[in-house]
Amino acid sequence: MPRLMPKHLLLLLTLTLPAHADPVSFSREVMPLLSDNCLSCHGQDAGHRKADLRLDTQEGAHEALKSGDFMARIVSTDPEEIMPPPKSHKPALKADQVAMLKRWIAEGAQWGKHWSLEKPVKAKVEGHPVDFFVKARLTQEGLKLSPKAPPHTLLRRLSFDLTGLPPSIQDPASSFQDLASSIEHLVSSPHFGERMAMNWLDAARYADTDGFQSDASRTNWPWRDYVVESFNTNKPFDQFTLEQFAGDLLPNATPEQKLATCFHRNHMTNGEGGRDKEESRIDYVIDRVNTMGTVWMGLTLGCTQCHSHKFDPISQHDYYSLHAFFNSIDEDGSAGTKAQPYLSYQSPHAKRAVDETQKLVDARKPIEAKAKADAAKPFEQWLSQRQTAVKDGFQAWHILHGTLESQEGSKLTQSQDGIVTASGPNPKQDDYRLISAIKLPRLTGLKLEVLPQKGALSRGKDGEFILTDIKLQVRRKGSSQIRDILVKYAIADTKVDAKAREYGDVKGTLDDDPRNGWTTKGFPKDQPHTALYGLAEPLVLESDEELIFELRHRSTNGDANIASFRVSATDQPGPAVREIGPTPLEQLAAGKPEHERLLAQFLEDHAPYQLAKASLDRANAQLKEVQSAAGKLNVMVLAERKEPRDTHVLIRGVWDKKGDVVQRDVPAAIAPWPADLPRNRIGLGKWITSKENPLTARVFVNQVWQMLFGAGLVRTPDDFGLQGQRPTHPELLDWLAVDFMENGWDVKHLIKLIVTSETYQQSSDHTNPSDPQNLLLSRGPRFRMPAWMIRDAALASSGLLNPALGGPPVRPHQPEGVWEEIFMGRFTYEPSQGPAQHRRSLYAFWRRTIAPTFLFDSAQRRVCEVAMTRTNTPLQALTLLNDETMMEASRALAKRMLAAQATDRLPLLFQSVLTRDPTPKELTVLQRELDRALAHYRAHPENARKLQTTPELAAHTLVASMVLNLDEAITHE
Amino acid sequence: MSESSLNTTRRYFLGQCTGVSLGAMALDSMAQQEITGLPQLPHFAPKAKRVIFLTQSGGPSQLELFDHKPGLMDWAGKELPESVRQGQRLTTMTANQKQLILPGLTKFSRCGQSGATISEWLPHLQGVADDLCFIKSMTTDQINHAPAMTQFLTGHQLPGRPSMGAWISYGLGSLNRNLPDYLVLISKMQRPSDQPLYDHYWGSGFLPSRYQGVKLRNSKDPVLYLTDPAGLPRHLRRGMLDGLAELNQMRFEQTQDPEITTRIRQYEMAYRMQASVPELTDLSDEPDHVFEMYGPDSRRAGSYAANCILARRLAERGVRFIQLFHPDWDHHSRLPSWCTARCRDTDQPSAALIKDLKQRGLLDDTLVIWGGEFGRGVAGQGKWDSPEAGRDHHPRCFTMWMAGGGIKPGITHGATDDFSYNVAENPVHVHDLHATVMHQLGIDHNRFTFRSQGLDFKLTGVEPARVVKNILT
Repeated sequence: MPRLMPKHLLLLLTLTLPAHADPVSFSREVMPLLSDNCLSCHGQDAGHRKADLRLDTQEGAHEALKSGDFMARIVSTDPEEIMPPPKSHKPALKADQVAMLKRWIAEGAQWGKHWSLEKPVKAKVEGHPVDFFVKARLTQEGLKLSPKAPPHTLLRRLSFDLTGLPPSIQDPASSFQDLASSIEHLVSSPHFGERMAMNWLDAARYADTDGFQSDASRTNWPWRDYVVESFNTNKPFDQFTLEQFAGDLLPNATPEQKLATCFHRNHMTNGEGGRDKEESRIDYVIDRVNTMGTVWMGLTLGCTQCHSHKFDPISQHDYYSLHAFFNSIDEDGSAGTKAQPYLSYQSPHAKRAVDETQKLVDARKPIEAKAKADAAKPFEQWLSQRQTAVKDGFQAWHILHGTLESQEGSKLTQSQDGIVTASGPNPKQDDYRLISAIKLPRLTGLKLEVLPQKGALSRGKDGEFILTDIKLQVRRKGSSQIRDILVKYAIADTKVDAKAREYGDVKGTLDDDPRNGWTTKGFPKDQPHTALYGLAEPLVLESDEELIFELRHRSTNGDANIASFRVSATDQPGPAVREIGPTPLEQLAAGKPEHERLLAQFLEDHAPYQLAKASLDRANAQLKEVQSAAGKLNVMVLAERKEPRDTHVLIRGVWDKKGDVVQRDVPAAIAPWPADLPRNRIGLGKWITSKENPLTARVFVNQVWQMLFGAGLVRTPDDFGLQGQRPTHPELLDWLAVDFMENGWDVKHLIKLIVTSETYQQSSDHTNPSDPQNLLLSRGPRFRMPAWMIRDAALASSGLLNPALGGPPVRPHQPEGVWEEIFMGRFTYEPSQGPAQHRRSLYAFWRRTIAPTFLFDSAQRRVCEVAMTRTNTPLQALTLLNDETMMEASRALAKRMLAAQATDRLPLLFQSVLTRDPTPKELTVLQRELDRALAHYRAHPENARKLQTTPELAAHTLVASMVLNLDEAITHE
Repeated sequence: MSESSLNTTRRYFLGQCTGVSLGAMALDSMAQQEITGLPQLPHFAPKAKRVIFLTQSGGPSQLELFDHKPGLMDWAGKELPESVRQGQRLTTMTANQKQLILPGLTKFSRCGQSGATISEWLPHLQGVADDLCFIKSMTTDQINHAPAMTQFLTGHQLPGRPSMGAWISYGLGSLNRNLPDYLVLISKMQRPSDQPLYDHYWGSGFLPSRYQGVKLRNSKDPVLYLTDPAGLPRHLRRGMLDGLAELNQMRFEQTQDPEITTRIRQYEMAYRMQASVPELTDLSDEPDHVFEMYGPDSRRAGSYAANCILARRLAERGVRFIQLFHPDWDHHSRLPSWCTARCRDTDQPSAALIKDLKQRGLLDDTLVIWGGEFGRGVAGQGKWDSPEAGRDHHPRCFTMWMAGGGIKPGITHGATDDFSYNVAENPVHVHDLHATVMHQLGIDHNRFTFRSQGLDFKLTGVEPARVVKNILT
């Protein structure tokens, strides 16, 4: 953020500028200055190079220095001469910068490399390595570490950092008597892998759908479980890397090793019609290279897609040489179900989900059966009442009379028998509206009869009508607003198999698309035809409300307006509006009752049964879903095609502008290619984690540091290049990176090393004014937790959490309609039923076009992301106040409270959420709010009922929700 | 909106808080110091204070709506000359068919003093022609929807960059502390749309997420999670937030973490939004003549027409960037039924919005933009002479219009060749449009950058972009 930059830079400068006794450091002082001020015009990008001058190489710079022009241009006062020039919007160099350059030249203009391209070395340390470097720096600035955090804070910190969950008050193993065994306990927890996986999934841009237009679902989730498993078994990071790059190429590759390569298939895929597949395929390869650059090497390779890097020593050729490693995958740019290559894989984690859901179905089945049995008696009563009621005949349909309107000027008149006839002008297209009051107690459906007039059904030349759409709306007299009524069912006496965009099927009149609709062409046009429309839900109209039924004739050719029609309404549910022919009660009246249809109609209106049935239906749907997830799945993986493709430099990054052919290679400026490695993805994976590669270990250590401290030692975790920030503690970063490699890329070892430091264990309470951004690490880490962790914590502290590992994705609560409104109904979101609802956020189904709504500030999972965003907005407040999951957690906490002694309740709440007791002052506030809420809900039990609780439970729920929203509850302290 | 009426609005919203609470007090003292936007912005005096962007998703056909080419009648059914096509890429939907010319299917009129050519399918827009500035020489690089719309709104075809509204919200900040700076309204349609509207279209990309567009939904929760659960009355929520603020304040006193103070403030803003947003989205206080002006569909919540009224209400309340989306302009077939359907949805309300803003004196400093991500090709898709015919995507030229906000009214800028295929004069690239919009808001697009992943990004990208000076007042 530009506004913060100056302070930042100043501090960095003061941090890194050594006393003048030391010679000028090229990598710390000269290079950043050249990079910021000179290289955008005098770097390696020949396309933008000015005056044929290079300052990014020793040769170029020395040539410039020899000419003597170098300093003269910098200190010039002539606006035509001075460098950087005013039109670059870069300010002239400051006096101390000029002095530094002069000293550097005087000292012989030593050349070197950018810091991150020098191999890291392990400096000698005394005591804990983390504390050794941090304290040394603090001492330099006259500061020291903050005191150790209180035990409950430290326990929370460790528990969130290592498992993503709060300490459990039931779990005595996490008692704090022995720090080392607490840490051991936490890193051995199966939740450790889940916690680590969440960040890795962000980096891997993992999602459960393709993204783009069709956004089809994919079944790559077994790869997610591979990641969890890998972290839990502490797979060495170099092995983890190799498997994800080249698991398929390893000798005797296991299915899991092949599965690992899904990492490089987690990019979006575009199945948009009209898209050139080759362009898509190139996009995917580019995405892999960029992701590799960011995740493993902290390099912004994306720049070099179009031109050589302006700042870092990566050329466009280098970029496409890396591209070549991924360019011969046996893929063709397709998406959806054609995104080969696939691994056919059966997940060991799915059976648990099947069992869990089977139990749910088994539990709900008898409830549904009982509800049905319980309905038998009321049904008989209802039937005998009906029998009496219909003995003098029964009419289900009531003809609608009312006002008629035509959009385009047809003259509509209605006769006594309700028949509407069009006459007068005959526009090409027209909308008819019938506005009518309804006398029925409720409306469940409408009948539309299209009636022949002189042997024709329409006023058009061929006598055939096309009804493109119908609309049903309600208007209150005197109100400006109209509301749409959802019509869900449509059936006609003419059955056709029409395609989505043809005229024929009556269902086409429900979708607002003028390219399909109902016509009876092909059926006798001298006969009447009937369509039935069933409402999604029965509609009760107030006495001052009227119904608007609109018939739209907007077909492409037009000239197909209905000539004559009649509309009737009914209050009969179920079969009456979904099946053509006499309604069940009409049959009953006629002495030909059909028992099944009568029962179906009765049950339709029998709320207890409908509730039980809906609940069972949802469980059954979920069972079907997890059963299919338990079978063989297609997981997108890497596999080489038989004939490798030629790889070209793409001119300006454009997919079909092919330049030079390049071979598989790596940027020499980073590390040379070891001679013994095969030129394939195995070689690439090994090169990335070779001891000669100066970047990978540093970059990963920095990601871990960021996870624990909220910010990395390099605060631009995605950019270790010249334009990224320099490490605050370069020697510490190097020590940890070397140690990580020396210990066989042991991730748990690295984490344990950091969290056992005094630096990590400091209190985070007070920010030292001399270190406002904690760059010097003068206090412990303090930051708002990621949204997923807040949700998981609420589930865990309320006891709702289902701790199961792995398996098919689940659908946590989301506000209604968020998928539907994006896709206009193409995808619907059914929240998971039963224990599946309370799984960790890691398992939440991730639709790329609409990420889970409760995950604010989260990575978007479209391209790889390793940086963290943390904002503080009113929308987040609303989420935490009103999200259904937060409300459920509050209710569950309230139930726990009510199970305890009255005086223990508020302390229990604090202990559950914050791992500590409330102070007396806090207790006063909590008690006051509890009393206030209790008074309200006792006086207004109807409000408690709306919350599906008793007054006591409602009041405690509100207080629990308040505590879950405390800053302390959502902050890593 | 004048400064004084803004202040009235502000007082009005602050008046919504009932009772004096710690949270509200913390807020009051902060209100004055609230810094909005970047200190270096605007670079110069702006002509427009806010933007209403009427985004027409799918690619409206310039040939049927604005770009009148009567000469095409002579070419009907003939193959598009290669001298015109010049190797233009086609989508794979029509790449394998002959490019046979389909002349525009509508009658055009010359409208108003300016004589702008507007289709018979847009009768209401014809009536406001003299308030509009047509750009007939728009051009883009992308030929498929998602990349083209992404470029149209974020300057780059791949998702991940901030949308124009996010840039502007980040740069200029808020004029109304009770509402987000960037609001998005999407027409409620019944048909599953072929082009979903991804939330990255109004995303903040690498900018902090508070700058992303907030979608106003047509549902009981106009903003996600806005509504308190049933059974939780307002005064209890107030009390709970007071308790929350008190407890948070205790924590602040212990830690001095300024994030806590911000959090207290944001919970207060959330509380105020719970009142201000429903007030805003409830159109029942609009008089009948307004609905009559915007057309019958405006009475239906969630329609494009109702959203146009909402856009005006948001403009009145000082929201910085208001973006409407109307989907389903992707007319590959059956132009006469399909394209007219979308014209019916949008014609009267778009025209009414211009009139309404003008009547209220808001048009002068509100920049209204109408357009989609690309245009449509002159060749018929499907059998060219059948009513079934449609048109494929066309990136080389398309028409947009703008109004108000310091844009010259009643002019047409740029022109296409006789086939509405190539830009013949004054091309305006999507990036030039971005530069121009920013310019009207007082921003030099070249000096408005954000550093991410080691690069200084700007909305207008790396290729030079220019402000379209000829259309400015």
